[in-house]
Amino acid sequence: MRRLTRVALALAFGLTFGGCRRSAQNIPADATREETRELATMVHVADPRTSLQLIRGFHEIEQNAWRWTMARFAVTLRAPSGASEKGATLVLQGAVPDPVIAQLKAVTLTADVEGVPLPPETFTRPGEYLYRRDVPPKAFPAEAVTVNFTLDKALAPGEADHRELGIVVTSVGFEAK
Amino acid sequence: MKAVVRAAWWLVPVAFFASFYWLGLRIWFHQDDFAWLNLSLHVRSWTDLWEALFAPRSFGTIRPLSERSFFLSFYALFGLDAVPFRIAVHVTQFANLILLARIAQRLTGSRLAGMLAALFWAASSVLAAALAWTSSYNQILCALFLLLSLYWLIRYAETGRRGYWIAQWMSFLAGFGALEINVVYPVIAAAYAWFWARAHFRKTLWLFPPSILYAVMHQLAAPKPESGVYAPRFDATVLTALWRYWEMALGPSRLTPVWPEFARWELAATTALGAALLGFVAWHLARRRWRYAFPLIWFLALLGPFLPFSGHVSDYYLTAPMSGLAVLGAWAVASGWNAGGWRRGLAIALAGLYLAVSLPTTRTVLRWHYERGRMARTLVYGLARAKQLHPGKTILLTGVSTDLFWTAVFDKPYRLLGLTQVYLAPGAEENIKADPELGDVSEFVLPPSVALEALERKQAVVYDASGDRLANVTGPFYAVARRRWSRDELPRRVDAGNALFSRFLGPEWYPVEDGYRWMPQRATVRLGGPARSLRVRGYCPSAQVAAGPLYLTVRANGYMFPRVELRRGDAPFDLSFRLPDAVGRASEIRVALEVDRIFARPEDGRPLGLVFGAIEAR
Repeated sequence: MRRLTRVALALAFGLTFGGCRRSAQNIPADATREETRELATMVHVADPRTSLQLIRGFHEIEQNAWRWTMARFAVTLRAPSGASEKGATLVLQGAVPDPVIAQLKAVTLTADVEGVPLPPETFTRPGEYLYRRDVPPKAFPAEAVTVNFTLDKALAPGEADHRELGIVVTSVGFEAK
Repeated sequence: MKAVVRAAWWLVPVAFFASFYWLGLRIWFHQDDFAWLNLSLHVRSWTDLWEALFAPRSFGTIRPLSERSFFLSFYALFGLDAVPFRIAVHVTQFANLILLARIAQRLTGSRLAGMLAALFWAASSVLAAALAWTSSYNQILCALFLLLSLYWLIRYAETGRRGYWIAQWMSFLAGFGALEINVVYPVIAAAYAWFWARAHFRKTLWLFPPSILYAVMHQLAAPKPESGVYAPRFDATVLTALWRYWEMALGPSRLTPVWPEFARWELAATTALGAALLGFVAWHLARRRWRYAFPLIWFLALLGPFLPFSGHVSDYYLTAPMSGLAVLGAWAVASGWNAGGWRRGLAIALAGLYLAVSLPTTRTVLRWHYERGRMARTLVYGLARAKQLHPGKTILLTGVSTDLFWTAVFDKPYRLLGLTQVYLAPGAEENIKADPELGDVSEFVLPPSVALEALERKQAVVYDASGDRLANVTGPFYAVARRRWSRDELPRRVDAGNALFSRFLGPEWYPVEDGYRWMPQRATVRLGGPARSLRVRGYCPSAQVAAGPLYLTVRANGYMFPRVELRRGDAPFDLSFRLPDAVGRASEIRVALEVDRIFARPEDGRPLGLVFGAIEAR
């Protein structure tokens, strides 16, 4: 019995010396999703497939629906068709939570698309909001454009939450004209 | 017919375990499992095998049977098929349960206590991690050797047959290959002999010398961490750790995270179970029935080696100690049952309470490990498929969560697939919570300028790991990356062994060879600043130190650090230098490396200095 064990171990080690030739065999063809994906024109911030377009200033997904932002946040979007001729509409949907207004009284949101500034908006009450602005054609020099958002104030990191907190966003994107 | 009924009796705990732990057979590799599987990549010769089996690793542990040979041999035979590994764990635990039942019956004289001991042990939630996580097989195998040793000792005491004594010695000595806590077996053996077989007590003292010898050798051979959670502390925290283990072993405190509403009952349940066990022992000790202390000695002896590590209180450390407590619980319940009346009712209620708080936690822990394994398998199979579809390309991962990173990326399972060029995409690290105790996430990130160039040249593909399988997002990632980063940005870390970093290396370097790169006598690297320190990692060949120490001189923007003496051949080196402010503030740091002598290999005659991996401004 002991001899058999010894032989089995030697066999196992012998196979090991063969090196790392053994890989995960029978890899299913659908182990990856390969279909070509484009940049999205409208990004739902809780959709992991488009999270790479949230290039800075977004915290993690909460309740599968939204994310807190920092004071400055940005997103890269695909320009809608015909935007370089007709322009488009920028739509940011979200909410200003109670603690933000309670502590900061009011917050002003400004945005630019590829450096082209858009009119700001000031929020003085908590609740849901829609920031909607016309974007001129000159803001679409390429198929992909970056939209930068800036808040004049944000909740500083504190004991309860170690993050800088601006507003809550659920989706951001362009609507074609 | 009697024999069949008797066998069925002993198989009750095994059947219970099998029916409750069936999901355990389907759990895939995760976390440390990959570190052990990767061992096979280092074995190319008998010397490598010796090193792989016996060199102290992972905080000084040496466990050739339960970790090294287990993973090496099973991987050699079954590759990345986790099922045979899981079967081995389960079969070992079947044997453990039968052994514990037999031991408990002999100690207590009660068949009911024997069966209940195995049942209580199988139901305990503190076993779930060890049974669900293949890396923790050391706990299960160690328990097997401990129980076998004790069983043979009991049989020897009962029959006087020398074969049992020898068998005990063999399993005791084998136990050192499973887990360090095997050293305490002589305490358990001596305690058993003292209480049940006093005539053999002196003989059991002979078990101590091997344990003492092992402890001394282990102290000398294994490097001891001086800081962090694996650094032992011999102070009042030992008692804190003991209390936490006691609470965990009883069970109620572990149910609260699973079922928060239970919080209000937790203290009462813990007190009831704890008081019942200790009260049972105290009642008998007060009547000078000393042997009732034995299961507690068993529990404390096996737990003792873990108590100095109060910063790393882990449920699976209770795997073997819990067997002693299970015997105590079973003894108490069987006694209550036999006493009849209110004592029987109390015994049933407490046993029911224990099972009711333990089983949901056990199921949750099992499910948690199953999900981890599933997550890791999705990633590893996805990478294998990506390698098939995009041979030779660097793979960048985005959408990696904190859990996925520490579960399936950190230990580099992709190396088992022959993949070395797998990185986190730049920016992906922002979603991963750092854990300095485990490692440095930044080492896994391909710097933005390097990633951008690789994408431009179609040398890299990007996969999003946030979904149910890897999704190729090379197109959109590249579109974003072009807008976000510049190709001209200098990376803070240059991996000399990766051709993608070539443009940041001076012209002196030799071409990349299998993940590393040789320098001649002198070589240069350009890094991005600002930074506080410089880290240089490489490998010193034995030929360079055959004639004495090799001296390496490192300069940063002309500032020369004290030269470094390399004495060990065929060994990696990892050097850190604090950068002077004037150098650290610069946006570009030019690093020059120079050795005081070179050697040439007969096969190519090239003048060679050292081998380098990563050079990093931090």
